[in-house]
Amino acid sequence: MVRHDVVVVGAGLAGMRAAIEASRYGVDVGVVSKLHPTRSHSGAAEGGINAALGNAGEDSPENHTFFTVKGSDYLGDQDAIAVMCAEGPGDIYELEHMGAVFSRMDDGRIAQRPFGAGGAPRTAYASDITGHVLLHVLYEQLVKSGVTVYEEWFALDLVTDGERCVGLTAWDLLHGGVQGIEAGAVIMATGGLGRIYRGTTNAYACTGDGMSMAWRAGVPLKDMEFMQFHPTTLKANGVLITEGCRGEGGYLRNAEGDRFMFNYAPNAGELASRDVVSRSEQTEIDEGRGVDGCVLLDLTHLGARKIMTVLHGSRELAMDYAGVDPIEEPIPVRPGSHYHMGGIDADMWGRTVMPGLYAAGECACVSVHGANRLGGNSLLETIVFGRRSGAAAAQDVRSNGAHAVFSPSAVRVAERRIRQLLYNFDGVRPHVLRDELAETMYENAGIFRTAEKLDRCQNDVSELRERYAGGLGVVIQDKSRTFNSDLIGALELGSMLEMADCLVAGAVARTESRGAHSRLDHPDRDDENWLKHTLTSYDDGGVALGYKPVTITEHQPAVRTY
Amino acid sequence: MQFTVNIERWNPEAEQGGVHEYTVEGPETSTLLDVLDVIKDTVDGSLTYRKSCRMAVCGSCGMRMDGAAVLACKTPMAPLVEAGRVPVISPMGNLPVVKDLVVDMEPFWDKFRAVKPWLEEDDHPPVKEWRVQQEELDRIMKEALCIQCGCCVSECNSMASDPDFLGPAALAKSARFVGDVRDRDRKGRLEAMNGPHGVWDCTRCYFCNERCPKGVDPRDAIAKIGAEIYSEGMLSDKGARHAQVFDVSTRATGYLLETALVPYTDPIKAMDIKFAMNLAKAGKVPNPLRPHRAKKLDEVRKLHKLLKKQEAELRDQKRAGVSIDREEAGS
Repeated sequence: MVRHDVVVVGAGLAGMRAAIEASRYGVDVGVVSKLHPTRSHSGAAEGGINAALGNAGEDSPENHTFFTVKGSDYLGDQDAIAVMCAEGPGDIYELEHMGAVFSRMDDGRIAQRPFGAGGAPRTAYASDITGHVLLHVLYEQLVKSGVTVYEEWFALDLVTDGERCVGLTAWDLLHGGVQGIEAGAVIMATGGLGRIYRGTTNAYACTGDGMSMAWRAGVPLKDMEFMQFHPTTLKANGVLITEGCRGEGGYLRNAEGDRFMFNYAPNAGELASRDVVSRSEQTEIDEGRGVDGCVLLDLTHLGARKIMTVLHGSRELAMDYAGVDPIEEPIPVRPGSHYHMGGIDADMWGRTVMPGLYAAGECACVSVHGANRLGGNSLLETIVFGRRSGAAAAQDVRSNGAHAVFSPSAVRVAERRIRQLLYNFDGVRPHVLRDELAETMYENAGIFRTAEKLDRCQNDVSELRERYAGGLGVVIQDKSRTFNSDLIGALELGSMLEMADCLVAGAVARTESRGAHSRLDHPDRDDENWLKHTLTSYDDGGVALGYKPVTITEHQPAVRTY
Repeated sequence: MQFTVNIERWNPEAEQGGVHEYTVEGPETSTLLDVLDVIKDTVDGSLTYRKSCRMAVCGSCGMRMDGAAVLACKTPMAPLVEAGRVPVISPMGNLPVVKDLVVDMEPFWDKFRAVKPWLEEDDHPPVKEWRVQQEELDRIMKEALCIQCGCCVSECNSMASDPDFLGPAALAKSARFVGDVRDRDRKGRLEAMNGPHGVWDCTRCYFCNERCPKGVDPRDAIAKIGAEIYSEGMLSDKGARHAQVFDVSTRATGYLLETALVPYTDPIKAMDIKFAMNLAKAGKVPNPLRPHRAKKLDEVRKLHKLLKKQEAELRDQKRAGVSIDREEAGS
């Protein structure tokens, strides 16, 4: 059993930023992560981080706020968005002082480039490895801070005293065995769930574990039906090619060589918002103007020099995973699941409905992205709300002071469950269910949705959950306790199934099209009935739906065109 | 496509291991990681390796293929099949094996922490960014590409004989800060790298450069630190003095003065008569009274001058580049 004032679960950008901030308040901080921090998926972010620095053109936090609200299809909470956009510049300057190697303008200030639907060149970047650079900078600061990191501990369940979150249980992957972690406050920063879809940009680790922990503990999840499909991913393995390619002037072409985006977004073209571009690409492909299930991302006119300097990483990825050198020929790309706008319902200090439980980053839904996230806003979200939740949790612990009551029976229960899973010899291999889930999600809960497809998907997911049977329907072949990745795969599958169930339940109910949730049977946005957040709560293993209002301050919902 | 691989297994609980052959089907675009995944899913769920991003940025899946470190996710398999190769997959070297292809990375991170891997800066809350020229940052961008996968450490010959050597990954990390114009502890870092197990213990085998999957070129980074140490006149370490002999003697005679090499680098070693005799027997001790002298010594000296000039220019450029406006950025 270990104990810390604040325990952060997950060590990507949001988690590490939260831990660093909490430690500044002088409280004792621990970080639990199923991966070593630098292995986190934040490191795969490429294009950049938004903030109205105004370095490359006139800009303001208000401007940033407006375009984010519009991009969210008016589902984002405008108070939270305003906070993120106002505090963004300060956070970027701080990252720079921590040592981030942001690309520079001639006068030595941080360079910025335009991203889709942003309305200004607002995306600060470090070549096209921005996430990697920031992840390593925050890890450096985490090492400096002396925070204890429990690497390769897989978080199992939150522990509560009936009201307050008092810690969690975790499986120590390297040594085997359940650990109890007592905490004054817990911050969830466990990232997304892209792996529930076939064809995703996400790492293998993005399986929605933290969200499912919170959900099982009774904390509602918000806007789960909103899944972003990124317009430019590689066919073979879904690897992301950054929006920065279009920001730097890249074209999207169909089989006929036409820059088709202007038929869908007459003003913004390739730089329309991601939901718009992905739908347009899918339409081109579905109507027979694709190239082998893809469209073409053409960078050839940008020239070798530009590609080699600011899009170096994208070139490497295209060469490694598509066998194409973008200096010479266009890259075949297609939309793929990328970012989950929904998550643990949290306010702008990361607070959830459960005292002592906080959430930040992709696993949270503060609701700054609403129904569609703008490129460059996710990294900003991790930093701003990671910092804020770290501060809030530390202050919470300092003012509450009371020691948590962590019942040791939680550890025994978890140990028993793991033993049951390990010594179950009857069932299918986890990958069978995992692949079936990814397939039905892709086919039926993808870019274009209908009632019929979503119903089919919902049935498939419930059937898969029945077959999974709380883990007793799958066979773990590795019976050892040392570094049992087979066991972790089975546990992750459980999270994925639960989260898919929540996502589909929200999607079935929402009979409108808004942002990334596009219903062919309900093609219009319906502000009268649906300008509200979906809440999905745990109900005896199933999903209970609820709703809550959207915070609208300045910007009244308007028609959204690009 | 059919893929066959031999995998070196190790089960620490049963204390059993051995090389096992696996043959599986997969798409032609499969990487080594994809093949391992198929084996794990469909043949043996106990096969153990790390993975996450599958796009060569998280650094989880370092392992050896036919004895040389690779990232499994960045290694296409079709060319091997076409060449009729059945590779042996084994865990990375220089790190203790935990299970199958998983190694204990703790010694790796110990070295990482030992180089104080963070920017030393004043504590003022930032108001604006430091103004830094892109060229300044370009000088550390290669080191900044490092994903800490451990492939270089796996192949490091110096670490194989001296496990305490800081090693290519940690030294490249250090070079990233030594070269950062914003850092305020350049001297301190150089001093720390100048001691035992520091930069001079590198054997210059270049295996790290060769095996790095991200083009970091750790050996070049180590050389950069060495050059900085030398140009600061920090000659307390044998390694630095060794470098100095080359510098001074080539300037004096155009050649290396072998007879000066050992006494200057390590005076105590020079008293070792047996060692000296062996050197002499091997023809390594030419007559010190009649040193070789290059015919065109002036040409050699010109080269020296040119190098010195370039070095000075670089230094000036660097100073000019630090147009850090402290008032604006950090007040």
